Amino acid sequence: MLDGHVLLGWLSSCALLGLLACAPRPSAAYFGLTGNEPLTILPLTSEMEEAAVKAHYKVCDRLKLEKKQRRMCRRDPGVAETLMEAISMSALECQYQFRFERWNCTLEGRYRASLLKRGFKETAFLYAISSAGLTHAMAKACSAGRMERCTCDEAPDLENREAWQWGGCGDNLKYSNKFVKEFLGRKPNKDLRARVDFHNNLVGMKVIKAGVETTCKCHGVSGSCTVRTCWRQLSPFHEIGKQLKQKYETSLKVGSTTNEATGEGDISPPKKSIPGHSDQIPRTTDLVYIDDSPSFCLMSRYSPGTSGRKCYKDKNCDSICCGRGHNTQSRVVTRPCQCQVRWCCYVECKQCTQREEVYTCKD
Amino acid sequence: MAGAIIENMSTKKLCIVGGILLIFQVIAFLVGGLIAPSPTTAVAYTSVKCIDVRKNHHKTKWLTPWGPNYCEKIKDFDEAVSRQIEANDIVFAVHIPLPNKEMSPWFQFMLFIMQLDIAFKMDNDLKENAEITLDVSLAYRDDMFDDWEEIAHAIELRKLKCTFGSPKTLESEGRHYDCDFLPFMEIGSVAHKYYLINIRLPVNERKGINVGIGEIKDIRLVGIHQNGGFTKVWFAMKTFLTPSILIIMVWYWRRITLMTRAPVLLEKVIFALGISMTFINIPVEWFSIGFDWTWMLLFGDIRQGIFYAMLLSFWIIFCGEHMMDQNERNHLSGYWKQVGPIAVGSFCLFIFDMCERGVQLKNPFYSIWTTEVGTELAMAFIIVAGICLCLYFLFLCFMVFQVFRNISGKQSSLPAMSKARRLHYEGLIFRFKFLMLITLACAAMTVIFFIVSQVTEGHWKWGDITIQVNSAFFTGIYGMWNLYVFALMFLYAPSHKNYGEDQSNGDLGVNSGEELQLTTTITHVDGPTEVYKLARKEAQE
Repeated sequence: MLDGHVLLGWLSSCALLGLLACAPRPSAAYFGLTGNEPLTILPLTSEMEEAAVKAHYKVCDRLKLEKKQRRMCRRDPGVAETLMEAISMSALECQYQFRFERWNCTLEGRYRASLLKRGFKETAFLYAISSAGLTHAMAKACSAGRMERCTCDEAPDLENREAWQWGGCGDNLKYSNKFVKEFLGRKPNKDLRARVDFHNNLVGMKVIKAGVETTCKCHGVSGSCTVRTCWRQLSPFHEIGKQLKQKYETSLKVGSTTNEATGEGDISPPKKSIPGHSDQIPRTTDLVYIDDSPSFCLMSRYSPGTSGRKCYKDKNCDSICCGRGHNTQSRVVTRPCQCQVRWCCYVECKQCTQREEVYTCKD
Repeated sequence: MAGAIIENMSTKKLCIVGGILLIFQVIAFLVGGLIAPSPTTAVAYTSVKCIDVRKNHHKTKWLTPWGPNYCEKIKDFDEAVSRQIEANDIVFAVHIPLPNKEMSPWFQFMLFIMQLDIAFKMDNDLKENAEITLDVSLAYRDDMFDDWEEIAHAIELRKLKCTFGSPKTLESEGRHYDCDFLPFMEIGSVAHKYYLINIRLPVNERKGINVGIGEIKDIRLVGIHQNGGFTKVWFAMKTFLTPSILIIMVWYWRRITLMTRAPVLLEKVIFALGISMTFINIPVEWFSIGFDWTWMLLFGDIRQGIFYAMLLSFWIIFCGEHMMDQNERNHLSGYWKQVGPIAVGSFCLFIFDMCERGVQLKNPFYSIWTTEVGTELAMAFIIVAGICLCLYFLFLCFMVFQVFRNISGKQSSLPAMSKARRLHYEGLIFRFKFLMLITLACAAMTVIFFIVSQVTEGHWKWGDITIQVNSAFFTGIYGMWNLYVFALMFLYAPSHKNYGEDQSNGDLGVNSGEELQLTTTITHVDGPTEVYKLARKEAQE
């Protein structure tokens, strides 16, 4: 039993994701880790190699998108591929960021479905990382030439070409932002929960936007700065994940300030609620949540619990084992060491045998 | 050069001329700000990792990331490891431009910079001063279904300058290094519709090639080219400016040849300035639309260099010729001390440019900054040029100071002079101060606009109107220096009017003789020299 959990590597747990589909959710369908679709990490490349024109239709159908989202997905074969990539990117990053936490971003169908029904901090993070992942993946897909329509896509084809020849096109980030905004739909009006989710989605996009760096290159006479061209570039997705994790830790709880019965609730931080202003979503880039999170210590609807989880002594054993203490197991392991790696594809290692202590949480 | 038009012009006429020039100046700014798009565009490309599936690599085969006959791709290198694909079989492919677009000769040039995404891995750390070896090739085609034709192929070394923000522990595995971008490629003409870049990272452990370069996740390129719209506006401007400067030049030279005396140095220098301006103006770039002339970029640099050198020389000589001291100059050799640094400086920059852009004609992937020796050499050239420029400005400032000192000296003794001589000096002083004023104004405008275009974003929004600041800067400043040269040739051309038209009853002892003398040379006439020169003049005749 222990051996099964020792393999904690987030890559391997990823494979588990595709196993279970989750139940449909009541609130508006979003996308990525917050959508209705099973989180199948499809083998992307082989899927897209098929020359069949409508191959991407199948992918779009499998994603269980809303009507409008499906239309946007079918518009361009690149979109389907990018959506898939966004999902896997967000999932990997979520698990990477939460690898030392009690909730280690377990995305197996039923746990995820139950999480998404409530408005926990974790749910907020899932929404934010999904929209951030999509924005990031979309911008990257544009620059890789994977999308047929990217920037300069507003006008019909001929005008399009003229616009490019006359003054170039806007940058990828602008396009991806626009796309994601359109993809995630308009701002919901009444439902508090839907508005919280929408807000958290926006936070994800804002973090991407805030992480944009402007880089410039001088190329005037003899390389002088009389002519200078600047462009914007995204920060690596790891950085985005790290920032969202920080936002998760400092997220704000919101409650409905007005009559819940009528359904016209306001989202605002409970402490500084402004009664006069209706329709107040906190104008911050903080993540917001409604419900207090469960402890994730024991097996529940939301997580498999931490019993049997591998932990790191002096680091997180106390916190993730929830005071139940941990088992220490001493083992002799043989593993590759002193590896010589070329930049790709080939690793030359020696086999080292060493004694290792493995700590796992008690039941 | 005494008796230039500017001295004899009434203030009203001068104001009218100034007003007209100002209108043209405003037009030049507006053309750039309102009509033209931003001068350049940067397009981000992410390379696609293709697999070269052939058994042996005898012939270069082009791998296309998308479109017809696209290559077999891998998503990341974990996939490569599991499929046992060798590093030498992986090709980073970039298609230029992105789908549904095509390049055009109006883009004038393309330059690319490379950014590497290198992830930190405990067992595959980036070595200090790591060097990456790239096997790069560039190809073109003009139809989506044609075969690729090779333009260039090279094996290039680039130094990696990367920093890592967090501690190098197991926890920060997977985070990216922060690497400086690397110069990648520069070509001086965009004659084809589609381009393809294939990059290989060959690994040779024995020779230590591409060992210790960390875990490269992605190669990204940023392509910069001039916008077609800006090129069109620029060409239109050049085509309009060429005849205007040419006409005033012909007019100016005709005026000089109409005079009985030989042209003096200052007149020649102004004419030379006109020639160098015309040299920049002549829109030979029109040919780049039809021909694949990659040397246009270098040629443009040379033309600008000649103009700058000419302008700097002109300022020195102008100051010298208005010095109002005893020295007889009127010869270029008299200015060797000041013109020397200009010549040395521009020569240095020329050599540097030849080393960079000249070599790029042969190998577009070349950059002088990539090697240790090259960097030192380039820095040496630039530093020498910088020192020359500083030296020049010291000389110039000193000369301007001298002129002002002489002016204040002369002004006190002006009332005591004969009328012709007083008019002569007043003319000199006015001419000098006027040029000083407009030169300073032009230089200040250039500097201010340069700073503004550097610190602000590319465009300002004013309601519905978008003003392209960078384009306005280019067209405005270019127009301004053209107008400067134009005004110089117009206002400093010799006048037909003489001082003495209504001076017949003046208190001049010497009249026609002195006048002849005054118009012949602007050098100093004072006391005995005057008589001596007159005598010499007569003797020559």
